[in-house]
Amino acid sequence: MSYSEKVLDHYNNPRNVGSFDKNDPTVGTGMVGAPECGDVMRLQLKVNPETGVIEDAKFKTFGCGSAIASSSLATEWVKGRTLDQALAIKNVEIVNELSLPPVKIHCSVLAEDAIKAAINDYKKKRDGEGR
Amino acid sequence: MNAAGCWKCGGEPHDSLFCKFCNTLLPPATDYYRFLGLERRLDVDVPALQDHYYRLSRLVHPDRFQNGTPNERRFSLDATAILNDAYRTLRDPVARAEYFLREEGLEPPGQNTRRVPPELLEEVFEVNTALEELRGGGESARPGLEAALARFRALRGELDADLGALFALYDRGRERDVLMKIRGALDRRSFVSNLVEEVEEGLTAR
Repeated sequence: MSYSEKVLDHYNNPRNVGSFDKNDPTVGTGMVGAPECGDVMRLQLKVNPETGVIEDAKFKTFGCGSAIASSSLATEWVKGRTLDQALAIKNVEIVNELSLPPVKIHCSVLAEDAIKAAINDYKKKRDGEGR
Repeated sequence: MNAAGCWKCGGEPHDSLFCKFCNTLLPPATDYYRFLGLERRLDVDVPALQDHYYRLSRLVHPDRFQNGTPNERRFSLDATAILNDAYRTLRDPVARAEYFLREEGLEPPGQNTRRVPPELLEEVFEVNTALEELRGGGESARPGLEAALARFRALRGELDADLGALFALYDRGRERDVLMKIRGALDRRSFVSNLVEEVEEGLTAR
C-alpha cells in the first residue's frame, strides 16, 4: 500500500509538532491510543478563554504515517475554530482530505478522538475553576 | 474420541490412550486435557504435569511400536506430537489460558494485544518519547527508561498474580464472565510484555 501525496507531505513536514504546558489552564490535552495498531497520539489545544477560540494546537504522535498525517491535519484544522466547531470535525473529512485507504481509517478516528479528548480536558479545567 | 470403540478388538468406546480390553494404542484425542486425562481446570499443578508427561512419553514412544501394525505406528507418532504440544501449552499459564479460552469458544486473545490500557496511556507516551530521545543519542533519557522498565516488569508480575487468582476463581465457579476477565488480563499482560521487550531493546541498542 502506498501513501497518498498529502499523507507524505504531512509525514515529511508535520505541522505543529510539539507540546504546551499541560498544567496551563488555557491548554486542553487529549491523549489517545489506537487499539488496531498501538499508535499513541497526544493533541493539545490552546484556547482563548474570552472568545472560546482555539488559537494554537500542537501534537506528537508515535505511529504510522497515516496517524501522523491525521493528527498533523487535525491541528491545522482546529486552529481558528471555536470549541463547538472543532467538535464538529468528523473523521471522514480527514479520510477524504488525506485519501486514506480503508485499513487506515482508524488513524482518522484516532485524530477525531484526540480533538474531543483535548476539548473535554480543557472544559474540565475551565469548569473546575469554580466560577 | 474413540466413538466407534477399539479399532482392534471392537471393545466399547472409552476415553483412554490404550484400549482397556486389549491394551492396544488407540487414536489419540486431540484435546489436550482429554489426551492427558486431566480435569479441565485452569489451575494446573505443573510439577505433576511434568511427571505425567514423562510417563506418557515413554508409553506412546514410537520406538515401542517399531514392530507394531501401521495403525499403531501412526497413532504413536500422532500421540507423541499431541503430547508435546499439550505439555508445552499447559505448562505455561499464558499459553494454557489462551488455549482454554479458544476451546471455550471465546475469540482468541491477542486481538487487542496492542490496545493501550487507558491507565498506561500517559506512561506509554512518555516511554516512547524517551526511547526516541535515546535513539537520537540523548543518554539523559536512560535512567527514566530504566525506572519505567522496572515498573513495567513489576506490573507484569502483578498481572501474572491476577491471572493466577482468576484461574482459581474460574475453577471454583466456572462462570463465563470470569473467562472474559481472563481474556482482558491476557490482553493487558501481552501489551505490558511487548512494552518490556521494546524498552529492553531500546536500552541495549547502540
